[in-house]
Amino acid sequence: MTKRNYATVNPCVMCQPMGSALAFKGIENTMVLYHGSQGCSTYMRLHLAHHFREPVDIASSSLSEKGAVYGGRENLKKGLRNVINRYSPKVIGIATTCLAETIGDDVPAIIREFKEEEGIGDDLEKDIIIVPVSTPSYGESHVSGYIKALDAVVRKFAESPESPEGPEKPKIPEDIEIMDYMENMEIIEYTEILEKEKAEENSQEAKNPDMKEILNRKLNLIPVESISPADVRELKEILAETAGDYIILPDISETFDAPLREELPKIAPGGTRLSEIADMPNSRATLGLGVVSTNLALKYLEESHCVPGHSVPIPIGLLNTDRFFTELIGIIGCPIPEKYQKERGRLLDAMVDMHKYLYGVKAAVYGDPDTVFSLTTFMLELGMNPVLVATGSKSRDFGKRIKQIFEEIRPELQPVILDGIDFDSLNDAVSECSPEILIGNSNGRYIAKARDIPLVRVGLPIHDRIGAQRILTVGYRGALELLDRITNTILEATDTFTVPVQVEPAAYAGQGEKDECIEGAQ
Amino acid sequence: MIEKTGIVDTLEERQPYITRKQEKGQIIPLACDNNSLAGAISQRACVYSGARVVLNPVTDAVHLVHGPIGCAGYTWDIRGAKSSGIETNRSSFSTDMKEIDIIFGGEKKLSNAIDELVGIYCPPVIFVYSTCIVGIIGDDLDSVCKIASKKHNIPVLPVKSEGFKGNKSDGYKAACDALKQLIKRPEKDKAAEKKPGVNPGLKKPRINILGDFNVAGDVWLVKPLFEQMGIEVIVSMTGDSTAKSISRAAEADLNLVQCSGSMTYLAKWMQQEYGIPYLTVSFFGIEDISIALRKTAEYFGSEEMKKTAGEMLETETNRIMPEISRVRERVKGKKAAIYMGGPAKALTLIKGFAELGMEVVIIGTQTGKKEDYEQISYSVRDGTVIVDDANPLELAELLVKQKTDLMVAGVKERFIAYKLGVAFCDFNHDRVVEFEGFDGFVNFAKEVDASINSPVWKAVRQRILKPEAVKSERSAGKENIKNIFGEPCAKECKDMAVDPEFLRQNEDTAVESQV
Repeated sequence: MTKRNYATVNPCVMCQPMGSALAFKGIENTMVLYHGSQGCSTYMRLHLAHHFREPVDIASSSLSEKGAVYGGRENLKKGLRNVINRYSPKVIGIATTCLAETIGDDVPAIIREFKEEEGIGDDLEKDIIIVPVSTPSYGESHVSGYIKALDAVVRKFAESPESPEGPEKPKIPEDIEIMDYMENMEIIEYTEILEKEKAEENSQEAKNPDMKEILNRKLNLIPVESISPADVRELKEILAETAGDYIILPDISETFDAPLREELPKIAPGGTRLSEIADMPNSRATLGLGVVSTNLALKYLEESHCVPGHSVPIPIGLLNTDRFFTELIGIIGCPIPEKYQKERGRLLDAMVDMHKYLYGVKAAVYGDPDTVFSLTTFMLELGMNPVLVATGSKSRDFGKRIKQIFEEIRPELQPVILDGIDFDSLNDAVSECSPEILIGNSNGRYIAKARDIPLVRVGLPIHDRIGAQRILTVGYRGALELLDRITNTILEATDTFTVPVQVEPAAYAGQGEKDECIEGAQ
Repeated sequence: MIEKTGIVDTLEERQPYITRKQEKGQIIPLACDNNSLAGAISQRACVYSGARVVLNPVTDAVHLVHGPIGCAGYTWDIRGAKSSGIETNRSSFSTDMKEIDIIFGGEKKLSNAIDELVGIYCPPVIFVYSTCIVGIIGDDLDSVCKIASKKHNIPVLPVKSEGFKGNKSDGYKAACDALKQLIKRPEKDKAAEKKPGVNPGLKKPRINILGDFNVAGDVWLVKPLFEQMGIEVIVSMTGDSTAKSISRAAEADLNLVQCSGSMTYLAKWMQQEYGIPYLTVSFFGIEDISIALRKTAEYFGSEEMKKTAGEMLETETNRIMPEISRVRERVKGKKAAIYMGGPAKALTLIKGFAELGMEVVIIGTQTGKKEDYEQISYSVRDGTVIVDDANPLELAELLVKQKTDLMVAGVKERFIAYKLGVAFCDFNHDRVVEFEGFDGFVNFAKEVDASINSPVWKAVRQRILKPEAVKSERSAGKENIKNIFGEPCAKECKDMAVDPEFLRQNEDTAVESQV
């Protein structure tokens, strides 16, 4: 047992700016720029390119020593100018890194200056839109970076440009920040502050939620964690067949899984259309995917624009997909299409076929909080025994939620639940819980190899196998695919059918003679 | 000062960094060795990354990254460097600095982390990398490391690699500065024997290999060559090295420097400090291996060694030649693009491609210096584009304009090439087979062949399904189908690679590339 309090060994999370890139890259004609040193952009590009197997362009303000001492204003402006010059994006997402945050660059102010200098106005249709998001690498994890970036984008498009507050984030007083760290509740605190502010605003504007005027019949869909391009495609298909009109933010189905085209576009086509994002406040409802982390964009739309928000778990597995459809149908008021009833039936059929292979199989699952929550639910309903449930992100609600789901489905089980872990602690926990299968991203391969436990790859990063962008886990089809993969992995590991039989030469020879005799007799 | 070349459509400030081959004696009009341009999307990483890639292959060290989690996370086991023993270096150690550490300083956490890691891993050395944030908040790494060294009685070495403090080359230097502190002064009698020819026969000549990182096990194909010549390789820095083997480095009679960009600084220091001369060599490609072995034998001046080297080169060359010739037939005349981190690899690749009958049409590096580019310029054919610190858009346009068949680079460049229908060979951290030594060159040749002559390029020629085209191809191309599965067939395979048509070549650009 290697108990540690200070050193992290083999990280199980990525840093905040990474999450922001995953979000920004799902928006039409958008470039990402990291305000910081050159390495941040290069390393995260490498990480993403390796996972999605696509070119990933992320700009950097390439801060040098001079920039670090005198401020990054000029570098950031130059970076913006060059990105606009070369990529002609419609949106530029600026994520700060630890360097920019610590030297205290006032990014919104620099953007205002830049826009003035370049004559960029506030017209969402005509002008280039610059969305800053504060994502220091020392705060929280890539999950919060993702949530914050989506929130910033929705706000940017939803708020009137005259608003003095603009896209700026309210500064959180320092003492609260420290408390946040202690409790790891930054998102929650942050939300509460925003909520208070918005409440004040709302009271001034005297908006009444019941009076909400629905301007379109669309449904917003916003996840709290990055899901695979295949997952996004599946969700889009479901929404197209049920809601008809929908807005999914972000949409990486094309940008991170692009077909081979006649030419290589500078910015991968696809992503959520900007007109759609601007239309989000007018939607009839927002469906949030994920119940462990707080969906800031959903909350914002609910509180400031009276778009009712419904959060359901990421629809992985039978129960979660059922919940997803139930909520969806509840909002829209249409029946579940026959197609999905059939898919559900096929999933049930497969669950019956496989139940004996899976019952009681001890599993360890790790990754992002909400993905892990949904995977755990699925394993429980399959009869598996998730002995170890872990996430690398620190999360106040993770343990609570996981315990709840065990209570609901298999109260007799006693799982080990961990948050904020690194892979070394996971390794220790694996040695204690001795699972028969691991489910999570490819960084678990070291544990899998060393302990000879099969690993089913789900999540990000997956660097050592092909097809990460096509891994489907959501919906009944996703559940079915995942079920097949898990079961086949177990069968592969336990298969004794093809093990060569130890043959004793003498007995074999004798057998041969006998055969000959029989042949001769015939 | 420098005229705009206009080779590709790029930012005005980037134009001086792209040029064409110059005649010998001419000064190369290429800007280089500067900080990357903001917003230009450089393929370079930072100072920390430079230090990390150089030091990470030290197998038994704890590589502790003092900074937020990202810096350690993205570089976890990134190097592909193999170890023959302990593999502590394959784990990623971080102090995972949080907001509170930024406010109150991270020294305490760092020193506690060191204590913890010493207790668990008992490493013979700890490298403590500083990251951007450490440089800003001003943690005193030197004193923390000094105290920890004393406390645990092992070297705890600060690596001053704050990301913003320059570019990757500065990271190499920071890494070498840390290595310097590991190298121990040899006992006096040994130092006296440093001259070649002294006491021949009494003591095996000893060398170090600097700038070989044992990616995919490269060093293991190189060391035996020297051992056969009767030379002891004390340490390869840093591939498959240990704290102990590095500490003995000053006992060597000669340093062979392969990755000159990262290790020349250390070699020069060792020459000054310990009087160990160095030779710049490469172990890639038949010609460069031959030069490396012959130069070394010559340095030691032993006739026997020269004879052994000659014989060995002949046997080995004869052994691999059939395979090389087979590949050569299949790839000759193809055009290659090289984009490497350092100039040494780029230079040796030019020769390697020549041995395969291929020509280089684009060559670039992230960290080349003026003199490197001059040498590169002399080594390539007319019309070759030379580029420093290229970005994805420049590379994409160059690949098309120069009608490239194959690119050699790293992961980030791979998908640019693939999207353009250009074959690709990874010569970076991500490869799984050795490319150095004789068998390594065979591996390289095979990989080049596999990528260039794969039938997928034939398939991707038609990116939009046009039923008429499929019909006509079926009736016309019956024999072609045999090629895909049948025996090597150089003439017909040639057409299967990149088809200029789908690269959307404009007439004018085609002419330009011949200028």
